[in-house]
Amino acid sequence: MSDKDKMAKYRTEIQQMMFVSGETGEPSPETTTLIESIVQDQVQHMLRECTILATRRGSKSIGTDDLFMLIRHDRAKISRLRHFLQWKDVRRSVKDSDDKGGDAGADVAAGDADLAAGVVGAGPAAPGDAGKKAKRAKVDLVWEVQSFFAENPPLMDDVEDEEEEEMNYATLQRLKNADERTKHMTREEYVHWSDCRQASFTYRKGKRFKEWAGFGLITDSKPSDDIIDILGFLTFEIVQTLTEEALRVKEAEDLYKKTSGGGAEASRLKRKRERGLFDPPEEAREPVQPGHVQEAYRRLQRGNMKARAMLNFTKSVHRASLKLVSLLAHVKS
Amino acid sequence: MSLPSSRDRQNYARPLPNVPRLRTPNASMSDEAMSNGSHNNNLAEGLETAAEDDPRVARWRENYLRTEARITALLGGDHQHDGDDGEAAQTADQPAMDAPAAHDARPTATPKKAARTIDEDDYGDDDDADEEDDTCTSPLLAKSAPNGIGCPSIDAPSLQISSLSSKLGIESIAAPSAEQPKSADDLRKKLQQDKEADEEAAKRSFHTMFYTLESDRDAMLEQQKLDELDRQVETEMSGQSAATPAPGASTAPQQGTLSTTNLGASSLTLKHLIARIDAERDKVKASDTQLRSLISEVRKNRSKWANEDRVGQEELYESMEKVIMELKAGEHANPFLQRVNKREAPDYYNVIKQPMDIGTMMKKLKQLAYKSKKEFVDDLMLIWANCLKYNSASDHPLRKKALYMRKETEKLVPLIPDITVRDRADVEAEERRMRNGDADADGADDSEDEEPIMASRGRKAPSKGGKGGNAARKAPPAGLEGTPDQESKPAVPTLNHAVSNLKNEFLRADSEMEGSVNGFSTPPPGTLTPIGPNGLLRSGAHGSQADVSEADGTGASVSGFTEEDADLDDLEYKTWKQVTKKDRATIAAERHRLFRDDQLQPDEPAIMRSKAGMRRWARHRKQAIEEGISGASASLADVKDGVQTTTSQSLAEGIAGEEERQVPDYYDPVCTIPDLDERLQWIEDSQGHVIQQHEEYMRLVPSGQFTAPDSALAKKMESNMRQMQETRKICAKIGIVKQMQLQSQMYQNQFQKYDPRPFIEADIEPVVVSEDGPVMAPYVCRAALQRSVGKIFYHAGFEEFQPSALDAITDIAGDFFQKLVASFGLYREMPKMKSDVTVPDANVTPANWVPRFTQEEAIMHSLQVNGVDLESLETYVKEDVERLGSKLSGMHDRMRSYYAELLRPALDNAGADGSGAFNDGSEQFVGGDFAEDIGEDFFGFKELGLDKEFGVAFSVPLHLLQNRMHKAYQSQNTNNIATTGTLMEEPAKFDSVSVQNVTNQIGLMRSWFLIKLRQNDNQSLVEDEDLPPKQRFPKPRLPPTGKISSPRKRPLREQQQMARKKRKLDEEKDETGGNDHNSSSHGSFMKGLGKPVGKLKLEMPQKENQNQNVAEPEKDDGSAVGMISPESILAA
Repeated sequence: MSDKDKMAKYRTEIQQMMFVSGETGEPSPETTTLIESIVQDQVQHMLRECTILATRRGSKSIGTDDLFMLIRHDRAKISRLRHFLQWKDVRRSVKDSDDKGGDAGADVAAGDADLAAGVVGAGPAAPGDAGKKAKRAKVDLVWEVQSFFAENPPLMDDVEDEEEEEMNYATLQRLKNADERTKHMTREEYVHWSDCRQASFTYRKGKRFKEWAGFGLITDSKPSDDIIDILGFLTFEIVQTLTEEALRVKEAEDLYKKTSGGGAEASRLKRKRERGLFDPPEEAREPVQPGHVQEAYRRLQRGNMKARAMLNFTKSVHRASLKLVSLLAHVKS
Repeated sequence: MSLPSSRDRQNYARPLPNVPRLRTPNASMSDEAMSNGSHNNNLAEGLETAAEDDPRVARWRENYLRTEARITALLGGDHQHDGDDGEAAQTADQPAMDAPAAHDARPTATPKKAARTIDEDDYGDDDDADEEDDTCTSPLLAKSAPNGIGCPSIDAPSLQISSLSSKLGIESIAAPSAEQPKSADDLRKKLQQDKEADEEAAKRSFHTMFYTLESDRDAMLEQQKLDELDRQVETEMSGQSAATPAPGASTAPQQGTLSTTNLGASSLTLKHLIARIDAERDKVKASDTQLRSLISEVRKNRSKWANEDRVGQEELYESMEKVIMELKAGEHANPFLQRVNKREAPDYYNVIKQPMDIGTMMKKLKQLAYKSKKEFVDDLMLIWANCLKYNSASDHPLRKKALYMRKETEKLVPLIPDITVRDRADVEAEERRMRNGDADADGADDSEDEEPIMASRGRKAPSKGGKGGNAARKAPPAGLEGTPDQESKPAVPTLNHAVSNLKNEFLRADSEMEGSVNGFSTPPPGTLTPIGPNGLLRSGAHGSQADVSEADGTGASVSGFTEEDADLDDLEYKTWKQVTKKDRATIAAERHRLFRDDQLQPDEPAIMRSKAGMRRWARHRKQAIEEGISGASASLADVKDGVQTTTSQSLAEGIAGEEERQVPDYYDPVCTIPDLDERLQWIEDSQGHVIQQHEEYMRLVPSGQFTAPDSALAKKMESNMRQMQETRKICAKIGIVKQMQLQSQMYQNQFQKYDPRPFIEADIEPVVVSEDGPVMAPYVCRAALQRSVGKIFYHAGFEEFQPSALDAITDIAGDFFQKLVASFGLYREMPKMKSDVTVPDANVTPANWVPRFTQEEAIMHSLQVNGVDLESLETYVKEDVERLGSKLSGMHDRMRSYYAELLRPALDNAGADGSGAFNDGSEQFVGGDFAEDIGEDFFGFKELGLDKEFGVAFSVPLHLLQNRMHKAYQSQNTNNIATTGTLMEEPAKFDSVSVQNVTNQIGLMRSWFLIKLRQNDNQSLVEDEDLPPKQRFPKPRLPPTGKISSPRKRPLREQQQMARKKRKLDEEKDETGGNDHNSSSHGSFMKGLGKPVGKLKLEMPQKENQNQNVAEPEKDDGSAVGMISPESILAA
């Protein structure tokens, strides 16, 4: 934690996140700073949008619904978030009900980290089966079916939650990726990796995060824990998406260099790789450069046709507003 | 034949020998002589026009053109051109006459050249029709075709000359006597035909060419000028009209065979008629004789020129008038119409000593100042020569006009019979003299025989034989105007004078012979021989005559200048202009009348559509279509057919008295008939009834045009929406139940029954259209789109929405779809690209061009460009439609179970029996069996054995026990009656008790009813239920125990109750003294007691039919128990 560096407040976290997302090298401070500023920008953008939505709703404080609204098109993420919130509820109640103290806290902590990494297993929830039954409240979205009707009947247990399936699919994909990544890791590396998975912008850094994200400035209200958690999740997603995209950019660049006779460097890389037979491969790789990140960001900000559709056959110029980076992750991958 | 004319006789009377001898040198010499003459003329004319092409160059060019044409002809396999060639060769026999005969006479330096020129002309300028017309109508075609073919195509000129001349010589030798009149006839006819062909071509071009109207004004002005001229001449003449000899009766003495013989001057007056009759000869059912007599009848008394005392005047003047009319009408005639004004050209009369103009000529004509053709022609030529002389600058515009007019003149002059007008006395005197002199001559008898006839007709055609005798008399006018001839024609070269004179001799021999022949119907062979000597006699003698022939002879070369002078317009247009000039002028004048002084003249007659005009239009159209069908490459026969049909039509029409206008249809726009759909035509059947055709094209707009198509997606969405409605229904019930649980007091209309109606897309009313295309109805389309948007709204969960939101979304959606379709159109209409693979087209020709995008690609592109991809569409269908359906049904189940739980709070077995038990909104439950669950015979029905009797488990639903719920339920569930009413029909309502049917009541009650009726003024009594809600009695209340006390169950005590009630009633009656009617009195009486059960029972059937089963059995004793229940309750 480089407290001195005013800008780079999350350098370690970002490095860890990038590592989790596949960046094996040691990213330079410039890169992390860039990513941080991007993330900050995105968070602030989200907050602004949420405030607008909340105002439109007639509410002074932003709620989870507003955040959900922002990412409503990303079904997988929505379902993950809902799941997360549900389980958070469960955990809290479990924590409240059987006062085991540190154990439960550890559970929650683990669960949170797991969530961040996409591992939402039954593990932490397993002990509180009864609690789950009773307390697992559905996180309702305003556009869901139950809001169609005036009455809200209690859930029937046998109703299969299809979102879960969907979410499970996404989760499995993530797990698979993580598995691929960790397949050849040594024990130490894995430990490091799992440490890195717990990196979060918000976990136990709530105050710093609020400050960093400009809560006091952008929105007056005191954000709820849920919002902070969701933002934590989303920030992780942003970093991950950016990193993956940047890696892809770098890959393409390397490929281009290799084919278009960046001769010396290519051979150097080759030598490096060959030499890296006995070295940990991640160290052999060059880290992502700020340029890659910028390019990745540009790509992720690229407008799509849908936003421009109504401007076809007009002479208006489409001014794309800032887009949330995480939205396109699935489309891209 | 049967009417031998005086002219015949004359010729018979004067047979001249040695025609063969004469003709032969003529034929053989003509080449040389003509070439010399023309050469000289060329030189001479060169003085007038500075620039002339090198004759050799011209010759080469012609040769080249000719060869080209031949090659194309050969390649084209078209023998017509050979025919032309042959014809041309044949016509070379009379070069002086023939050259002008060509439509557009080109330089004819030699006879051979004349031939070439014609040939070339036919290729270069005339359109096919013209050419074909020429060839097909030319009687020479058949004869001359072989000759033409025989002609080597690339021959050297000299070779050709020899061959031509030898051939001509042979021909003229072979058929010397017959050939001449024939060719003269043909010549005349050919001139006519050419003219007609021109007109025909121009007319044909009506359908194919559009000429702008800019020349109309000129035409109109010219025509006005002409008319003015006429008027002027008329007025000037009117003073002298008294001096004009009164026209005598005259007939056309000479009518040849219509098809072969010309009719002399009559051919000018009646030429159209005759030509048509000729063309349709086989269709005319009349012998030649009849026809001829007919025509002579028609012509009788017709001519204003006819004068008994002036022999030949009618013919001569008629033809002269024709010629001058024709010339006058020409488009270039304008400057020559009137005398040159001294103001315009001050020095004119210095230069021109003998001014002449058409107006003056007309005057002279009217004054009968012309004695012979020659004088007339001299005057004409004088006009042009004056002009050429005065305007000596070679590029002067008037020169062109003058040259053109001269050319025209030369074309027309041969049509004038060479007749010298003589006094009758002279003629007769000469006749006598001649008869005396040539008494032994052939045919003298004939002529003598004919004499009386001729005399009786008062008409005698002068022959050229008389010319010599008349020379002296002719002299004065010739002197008058003939002297300037020398001046006006300084071109005659003195060097070659002898030669030209020599040539002129022969020429004149020809022309004079023709002139005389003009009058002959069928001159027998050999009769022409006398011409020669006469010609010889005169040729040297009269210089003026030489001039005439000079003019004739030089005609060809003179006309050559016009070519160089390059006509202002192309020939076709010129012909067109000329043909249409008069009518155009008329039409323009008509139009002009309306807009005179640059403003609309309201008083002028409007230009109206006329029946004749419309008929004409239709005919032209048909004609054009026919020609269009026959096509450009139509064979000769085709064209012939076409011509025949058209002429037959126009013949018929012409007889019908319809004037034929020589203008294209677009000059007569009011008479055009718009293209009518066949279905709209006025067609009558055999009975004369109009056939209604609207069934064939009026059609209903097929239904479903404005409703959503019946697709799988739409069905799914519909079912989703139905599901939502059902769920909402349950929702509403839940809400009511919840409310009932909270609220202590209920109001009558507190709960609105939620009864959504199913969605039905209304289609438009039946609309009749006449076309097949899409119905363009923006408002309807928008409404339909709005409806669809509304459905999507509902499908998305909005039960209701603001109209403004609906409008906004509709507009956006419309906009989006427009863009989508527009981009689709763009992709569709991308320029085609060439492909390597030949695509078999629908047409036979395989096209290498394929659309840039296939349909599918175009759709995908336009979707993509508008931000839609298939995945998102699929996701929508999967997520927002299909999964929504499953979610909705899940929600529905949840709602129902929730409702069920709400409805029976006391019973805990709610979820156990599963959702299947609640198929239609807890009806089973409501009519259900919870009382049995309790295990109590609630109403004691079992005890009564009613359950066995009806086979139904009688149990009272919960809400009956809880009055509040019951009422609420009733208010919302009135329709449940219908659903379960199938079990047992709802009984008919009791008739209200009235005076009429009171006797039907049981006797015990009757008196009471009567009292009630009396109180009610004999109005029928009102049932309690029908009272207004405020006056109604409160419903019976069950005690909190929920148990109905036993007296109700005890039938034994009914009588007792009845008795008691009666007693009470009586008491009451005494007390209240019939204040109100039944119910109110009861109400006051039973206050606080609650309604009797019997009352409840009575209204059961109406209220709800769950109770029907319960109520029914009690009805039996209902009448007995009637109103007793309060007492029974009291008693209990």
